[in-house]
Amino acid sequence: MKKTNLFLMIFTVFVFIFLYAPMVIMVIFSFNEAKSLGVFTAFSLKWYEKIFTNTEVWVALYNSVWVGAVVTAVSIVLGMMMALAVTRFSFVGKPILDALILIPIIIPEITEALSLLVMYVFLNIPLGPLTVIIGHAAFDVAFVTVVLRARMAGYDRTVEEAARTLGANELQTFFRITLPVMYPAILAAGLLAFTLSFDDLIKTLFTTGPGFKTLPLIVWSSAARGGVSPDLNALSTFAISISLLFAVFRIRAEKKMRGV
Amino acid sequence: MSLLGSLVRKVRRSRRVKLTLLLAPPLAFLAIWFYAPFIITGLYSLDMITRAREIVFTPSLKYYERILGWRSGLTIMLRSLYFGALTTAICLLISYPLAYYISFKVKKHKDVLIVLFIIPFWVSFLLRTYAFMTLLDERSFINNILLSLGLIQQPLQLLYTDVAVITVMVYDYMLFMVLPLYANLEKLDKSLLEASSTLGAGPVSTFFRVTLPLSMPGILAGSLLVFIPAVGEFVVPALVGGPNNFMIGNLIYQIFLGARHWWIGSALSILFIAMILVLAIIYLKKVGSVGPSF
Repeated sequence: MKKTNLFLMIFTVFVFIFLYAPMVIMVIFSFNEAKSLGVFTAFSLKWYEKIFTNTEVWVALYNSVWVGAVVTAVSIVLGMMMALAVTRFSFVGKPILDALILIPIIIPEITEALSLLVMYVFLNIPLGPLTVIIGHAAFDVAFVTVVLRARMAGYDRTVEEAARTLGANELQTFFRITLPVMYPAILAAGLLAFTLSFDDLIKTLFTTGPGFKTLPLIVWSSAARGGVSPDLNALSTFAISISLLFAVFRIRAEKKMRGV
Repeated sequence: MSLLGSLVRKVRRSRRVKLTLLLAPPLAFLAIWFYAPFIITGLYSLDMITRAREIVFTPSLKYYERILGWRSGLTIMLRSLYFGALTTAICLLISYPLAYYISFKVKKHKDVLIVLFIIPFWVSFLLRTYAFMTLLDERSFINNILLSLGLIQQPLQLLYTDVAVITVMVYDYMLFMVLPLYANLEKLDKSLLEASSTLGAGPVSTFFRVTLPLSMPGILAGSLLVFIPAVGEFVVPALVGGPNNFMIGNLIYQIFLGARHWWIGSALSILFIAMILVLAIIYLKKVGSVGPSF
């Protein structure tokens, strides 16, 4: 029995090493003076200097952020409407609606992205930032709906009833009671939508037009073209720190949400 | 009575108007930008759209027939299923002991361990894949250590092999296996295990006859959550695999953007989606929820 426990513990430690080692080593070598990926010679920020003086990187970061922001706004508004309809009304065909919301989450992204591209070309829609935003929002809406709906199911409506009794009309009740109470859930869903858009590669790859690049696209094209390189290590380390920052915000919002 | 009746009708009508106002915009958005593209793909797959982009009403199954008689295409499809299954199996073999250990053996700071496990998955899929590439590379740190220890004579060429594709997929998808397994083991009634040992079963037979059968729902949930995205993987084979390790996602991509044969590409997409939906229905029937959030 003792032996099994010891074995399990060592096994778990190895799994954790397996999980962290690739990223830790990549981060360490992004600070390497030499171009080598195998020998660490001296600490240096030169690869960071190289990527931060590259305007392409800044433009891509800017694109990722504003695309993410628009996608988040669109998904939140549409997802909120859908979640309100599903939790507050009973109507025939609800299971069908549930399926329609679930399918975007299940279907492999590559088939979705290529189908969207087929339609854009079929309808002669020029590819560019707008087609990317639409592509991201088309499946982020489903994720936002799922998150918001889960929180709304346990939502106490007596406060709203009280507001109505005290003379507030429906819109006032929505903006002054429902929205503030739902705020943590909306924040959590919004950060999820932003993360999905910010990290998205496949949808962007197929629906973007000439010259419009996001951060993942730059990482993808240089990794696919030239494999591993120290400046790509630096760029990835930079992108990872942004991802982790957003994850921390999201976890905090979710914690707050559970407190409601 | 008639006054009450008309009031009820009025309220009902206003509720219906509100419901329509709430549902129409998101549904229209999904219909146009999510579902319509698949309809167009479907039309292409049935040869109902011509090269001049005109719709003709003479559906034909010839592209589906062509796919089913296409040797190398079928090889790639079978390879995807095999890679997906292998990834799932390895994920399960690694995740089960991990989830079991954290759930049953760790007394303090379980939550901390689970969060520590989840943190690497906060990093995007692409960046995790790239990070793993730095280890697999010929010039990598690992190869250097092995060389200097004299364990190998030449650097290992790990990149662009089957092993690389499977390893990175395991690395990328393990979360989907561990979370449902852990949730399942946490809910498991531990008094049943005590009962089993009180009644004379040893730890091994308790595990195989009580714990393992009771954790089947978690195993099934995790397996489908890994298998479904793994079969359709595109990024990993494209980055760490060579042309001999392509999967169905890469094939569809090649046909669409390389060969520009939208009809075959569409038929292949539709077949693939149908397969994924069948798996998803099995999942929802047996497990009944969307799965863990993270």
